[in-house]
Amino acid sequence: MLTRRLLLAAATTPLLAPLLTPRAAWAAPEALKFRDLYVRGRELTEKAKALAGREVRMIGYMAPPLKPEIDFFVLTKLPMSTCPFCETEAQWPDDIVLALTDRPVEPIRYTDLIRATGVFETGFETDPDTGFMSFIRLRGARYEKL
Amino acid sequence: MNRIITLLTLGASSLALASAASAQSAVQQTADSYYVAGQAQLAEKIASQPNVARAKNVVLFVVDGLSVPTITASRIHEGQLRGVDGESNVLSFERLLPYTALSKTYTHDSQVADSAPTATALVSGVKSVNGTIGVTQDIKLNDCASQKGAEVTTLFELAEQAGLATGVVSTARITHATPAATYAKVAGRDWENDANLPEEAVAGGCKDIAAQLVDWPAGDGFEVIFGGGRGNFLTVDQPDPEDEGRTGSRKDGRDLVGEWTARHNDGVYVWNKEGFDAIDPANVNRAFGLFNRSHMQYEADRAKDAGGEPSLAEMAVKAIDLLDKNEEGYVLMVEGGRVDHAHHAGNAARALTDTIAVAEAVEAVFEKIDPAETLVILTADHSHVFSIAGYPTRGNPILGIAGKADDGKPYTTLGYQNGPGAKLDEPRADLTDVDTTDVDFLQQALIPLGESETHAGDDVVIFAQGPWAHLFHGVVEQNLVYHVMEHATGLATRAALARQAAAQ
Repeated sequence: MLTRRLLLAAATTPLLAPLLTPRAAWAAPEALKFRDLYVRGRELTEKAKALAGREVRMIGYMAPPLKPEIDFFVLTKLPMSTCPFCETEAQWPDDIVLALTDRPVEPIRYTDLIRATGVFETGFETDPDTGFMSFIRLRGARYEKL
Repeated sequence: MNRIITLLTLGASSLALASAASAQSAVQQTADSYYVAGQAQLAEKIASQPNVARAKNVVLFVVDGLSVPTITASRIHEGQLRGVDGESNVLSFERLLPYTALSKTYTHDSQVADSAPTATALVSGVKSVNGTIGVTQDIKLNDCASQKGAEVTTLFELAEQAGLATGVVSTARITHATPAATYAKVAGRDWENDANLPEEAVAGGCKDIAAQLVDWPAGDGFEVIFGGGRGNFLTVDQPDPEDEGRTGSRKDGRDLVGEWTARHNDGVYVWNKEGFDAIDPANVNRAFGLFNRSHMQYEADRAKDAGGEPSLAEMAVKAIDLLDKNEEGYVLMVEGGRVDHAHHAGNAARALTDTIAVAEAVEAVFEKIDPAETLVILTADHSHVFSIAGYPTRGNPILGIAGKADDGKPYTTLGYQNGPGAKLDEPRADLTDVDTTDVDFLQQALIPLGESETHAGDDVVIFAQGPWAHLFHGVVEQNLVYHVMEHATGLATRAALARQAAAQ
């Protein structure tokens, strides 16, 4: 059976090119709201497109990490008690952001508001180690509880 | 003797008028604007006349989780969004549905209800067990074997048997508890597709909710089905038309959309706004619209839906255009299904905007119906732990700050008794620099309950107008709603007569 991950990967490979945009270290992180991600469906807003490769800060919630000693978490608009990204059968929302960290994640309760900062990436990508697929990412993410 | 009675009556009337006149002159505040408005409202009440004609049509609005504070806050929010006074604002259903009662929502086994047995109470007239749909108090939760003999007849089934048209519209999955109560009978509300059925249910021959909708044996089936929940009607091998990379959820290989389409050559299936807009009631007799793989979008997010979704008002109006083709009349449920979901998320802004969307749907429906022959009811299935607090000044933004608490931090007018807005063993957050009017803001709560705030057990309101709507007064049991609808239409008798005629 064709899994949704494979389907997503097959459908979106050309979108990976913008990921290579170099990080603009000189710019202060720009605030980006969840509602400013998409115009409609998966169509990114002009603001989101323009921020690709730049450092942004987003406010949201940390879905419970998949396991201890893991270097990513899912940033959600509203609290989610399960990792929406890890449950293929779950009715997970479209507007989630994969936050990739440089060190193991220290979990923050999923109902606590956090501010995450990282380099904004768009386009489907499959993590080679876990097979997880994402469309929006914050790379080199730092985070703090608000 | 008659002359004496007449004179006495005239005398009494004159006396009443004289009393009224003297009462008015004895009151100092008669020129006050509130007093004048109160007198006008009194005159309206005196002039209202009960309608005891038979109801040709019934439109039942169910607003999932519409607690009294939700009505009040939505009324204020809607007014403030329009730039008028929110506190004295009037939502369409408050104006158009003048008869009201308080509804007791407890269920057969719970002080605080869930949406499943309460929907059964509304459309079948009996209170039942939390977590079950379309069955009586004799059911055992999640026990397929106990379903036999416990199944109910719904008003929608009576309507179909009597030759009326029927429709069900919801912004939630059409297999979700409230819409499902119109057609399904299950011991477990989560049995929305076959993959959700426990082994015992499969072995016992119990059918999932989506299959029950398509296989519904009542009359010639629903003329209108609009809602979400497409995944429950497609197989795991069928790609979803809107949600890239995702498929249906069914594992039994049944393509229920294909089955419905094959069965109804007078109907049309649609999944997006474009298809919806193209439905022409002059050319089709029935429509099946599934606009999202799961629930439809919140009204606040609808514009961003990939495939495009119709509003609740648009769905309700299109439903009536289709149902009204039946000269015998129709029975329609319209559910604002996501007020409840927003409350569960602790997100008041979306709960209020979805309530306003219901008010717009009621307004739009009234442009289509003859109020004298249509019983229109709007009610909730249960309440939520949502409150309006503090002493904010008149005109303060309803999503704003009410004042400062003893901890020196601001607090919002709207809040929840429990839910995701609560901190776990920590002081509450300082809202000094937080925009609490942001649509994504979650109101603070007292008791931490994960990602989901709970329902509440307080009474909800029933609003009504049309034939026999005056029966809604006082504090009543929730299941009275069915009994009034049945009484107003006579559908039990008409269905029995139709069955008798068919047998002959």
